[in-house]
Amino acid sequence: MQSDPAAVVMEGASRSFGEVHAVRDVTLSVPAGSVLGVIGPSGAGKTTTMRMMTGGLVPSEGTVTVLGEDPRRFLRRTRERIGYLPQQFTLYPYLTARENVGFIASIYGLLWFRHGRRVRQVLELVELWEVRNRLAANMSGGMQRRVELASALVHDPEVLFLDEPTAGIDPVLRSNIWEELHRLKSAGRTLVVTTQYLNEAEECDLVALISGGRLVAFAPPEELRRDALGGHAVEVETEAPFDARQLTGQPGIIRTSQTAPNSFQVVVDDAGTATPVVLEGLAARGVDVTSAREYVPSFDDVFATLLERHAGAEERGQGEAAA
Amino acid sequence: MRPVRSVASVVAFVSKEILEVVRSPAAILSLTLGPVLIMVLFALGFSGYAPDLRTVIVIPPDSGLPTTVGDYADAAPGVEVIDVVEQLAPAKALLEARTIDAVVVAPASLQENFATGKQSVIDVLINVSDPIGNANAIVVTRALSAELNRRLLEDVARRGIEAVKAAYPDVADIPPEVIAAPTKTKLANVAPVEPSVLAFYGAAVLAFILQHVAVSLIALSLVRERTRGSFELFRFSPVSAAEVVIGKVLACALISTLVAAATTLLLTRVLGVPVLGSPLLLVLTVALVLAAALGLGVVIAVFSDTERQVVQLALLVLLASAFFSGLFLKADLFRPLARPFTYLLPATHGIALTQDVMLYGWTKAPWHFAALAAMAVILLVGGSLLLRRQLERA
Repeated sequence: MQSDPAAVVMEGASRSFGEVHAVRDVTLSVPAGSVLGVIGPSGAGKTTTMRMMTGGLVPSEGTVTVLGEDPRRFLRRTRERIGYLPQQFTLYPYLTARENVGFIASIYGLLWFRHGRRVRQVLELVELWEVRNRLAANMSGGMQRRVELASALVHDPEVLFLDEPTAGIDPVLRSNIWEELHRLKSAGRTLVVTTQYLNEAEECDLVALISGGRLVAFAPPEELRRDALGGHAVEVETEAPFDARQLTGQPGIIRTSQTAPNSFQVVVDDAGTATPVVLEGLAARGVDVTSAREYVPSFDDVFATLLERHAGAEERGQGEAAA
Repeated sequence: MRPVRSVASVVAFVSKEILEVVRSPAAILSLTLGPVLIMVLFALGFSGYAPDLRTVIVIPPDSGLPTTVGDYADAAPGVEVIDVVEQLAPAKALLEARTIDAVVVAPASLQENFATGKQSVIDVLINVSDPIGNANAIVVTRALSAELNRRLLEDVARRGIEAVKAAYPDVADIPPEVIAAPTKTKLANVAPVEPSVLAFYGAAVLAFILQHVAVSLIALSLVRERTRGSFELFRFSPVSAAEVVIGKVLACALISTLVAAATTLLLTRVLGVPVLGSPLLLVLTVALVLAAALGLGVVIAVFSDTERQVVQLALLVLLASAFFSGLFLKADLFRPLARPFTYLLPATHGIALTQDVMLYGWTKAPWHFAALAAMAVILLVGGSLLLRRQLERA
C-alpha cells in the first residue's frame, strides 16, 4: 500500500542558473489520476518546473518526487511507467510517422511484436494513421507535433509529462487531444501539462499559475476564478435603472459594482445561497429583475487579475522591506 | 526480459540509423558515391611523377663540351634540356621570367683549369619557390652536373690515352668512358609487385577515406540527436546511456563497413589494385581503422555543440591525416619530436597496414595492429563514458 497517493510532489523546489532564479520555492502536489496544468506566460518557468519533475534539472533547493522516487534516480521500471514529451524534441525527418512512433516504442521497452497494434492506436488517436507512411520531413508543424504526442503516449504511461503538447495545433485538434488526455485521466493516468493557452486551464483538475519563476496560484480552476473575483459573481439586469450600492451590507454580499444604469454585478460568498437573497432584496425595493445569472469570467481575465494582485503584493512586500 | 529489451533498444537504434541514411540522398552521395568518385578521379588523374625540369645549358666557346640539344637528350632523368647557348644572360632572363626552371653553366676555362690541376665550378641556377620542387631540382641538376663531369672526364681521358699511346704503344687499351665512369648502376626492384602509383596510393587512400567517413558519420549522427532534443528524451526513457552509445556505434560501424566493402571492391576489382596478403588481414585492418575512427568520432561529438563544429573538427582531422598519416609524406620525413604525433591518427597505422598487406602481402610492423586496437578501445570507451555523462546531464 502506497503511503503517498500523490503522483508528483514538489516541496520548496527552486532552480537557479547562475544569478538567475528561474523557479523559486514551488510547492505543489498532484494526486494520482488528475490533470495538472502548469500555466503561465512565455519564460515564466514552466519548462524549468517540468524539467525538475522529469529529472532533467536538479533542484537548487527543495525536493521533487514522482511516483515516490527522486526523478534523478528513476529505476528503469519506473521510467517505463512515465511518458514525456519535451518541448524541443523534433522527429527524425527521414523516418515515417509510424517509424518514428515505433522507434520511441522500442526504447520504452515495447518489443517489436507488440508495436504494431499500439502504434496504430496512438496514430489513430491523433488522426494520422492515414498518413502513417509519410516522412516526418514532409509533414506540417502541427502534424509533427501530433506524431510527437503519439510517441509520448505509445507505451501507455501512468504519469505523462507533456511540455506544450497543443502548441501550434489547430483548435479542433486541440480539443481532440484534450479529449484523449481526459480519457487517459479516466483510465487513472496522471498528467502534467504545460501550456500557454490560458483557456486550457478549464481542462485541468489543478492549475499551477507560474509567473516570474514563482507559483502565483495553485488550485482547481473554479477556485482560481473565485480567488480572482473574491467570491462568486452574479450579473443582474433590471427593468429600470437601479443603484447597486443599496444592496451593500446584505447577508452574503461581499461587494457590488455598477456596469450600466440597468445592470450591475454582485459578488457573493456562494452564488447558490446568495442569489435568492439578492433577488428578494430587489423585490422588496420594488425593482423588476430582467435577468440574473452567474458571471463566469474567462481565464484570461482570471489570470490577469491574479497576476496583477501578485505583482502588487510583491511590490508592497519590497516596499515594506525597504522601509 | 531485461537483456531482450536491451537488445531490442540497440536494434531499434541500428534500424533507425540505417533508415535515415538510406533515405537521405545527400548522405548516400557523401558517404558512398563520394569516396568512390574520389578514388576514380585519383586513379585517373594522379601520375605520381614530377614534371621534367626545363633546363638551358650554357656552354662557353672552346669548352670542349658538345653544344647541341641532342647531345644532352638523355643527360639526366627528370631533366629536359630545351636549349644549349653560349651566353649566360639570355638563359638567366628566361629563368627569371619562369619560362625555364634551371640553367646549368659549364665553366669557361674548363680544359685549362683541368690541365693546371684546378677544379672548375659548374654553376646551377634554379627559380623554384616550392620547397619540394626545390629539393627535386637540386637532385636532378646534380645528376646533370655529374653527367657533365663524366663527359669532361671522358674527353680528358681520351686525350690522355692518345698521349700515352703515342709514348707507350703497349699500354692496355682502356676505353675513355670506362675511365670516366668505371661503374654504373643497374636497378632491380624485388618488391612483389611493380610499384604503380595507383596501387601504392590506392591502398593508402582506402584507410584515409574510411577514417573520414567513420569519424564524420558518427559525430554528425550524435550531434544531430543532441541538437534535436533526443538526448533529453533518451535520458528520461528506460533506455540506458550504454544502449544508446552501443546502438549508435553499431549502426555507424555497419554503414561504414558497407562503404569499406564498396571501396575495397572498386579498388581491387575495377582499378586492379592487388591484395597480396591474406584477405583476413585486410579485413582486420579495415575493422580496426573503423573502430578507432568511430571512437575518434564519438570524442569529436562530445566536444561539438553543433553540426558545423563537427564538420570543422572532422576537416581538421582530415587535414592532419593528409599531412601526417603517411599518405603523401612518410613519417620518416618528420623530425623525431613530431613523429609521435603522426601515430595519434588511426589513418597513420591504417595506411601502413593497407599498403603492407595489399602490396607486400605481409607487414614488417605488426605493432600497428596493436596500436589501432588500443586506440579503438581507448577512444570508444573514453568517448562513450564522456557521452554517457552528457546523456545523463541532458
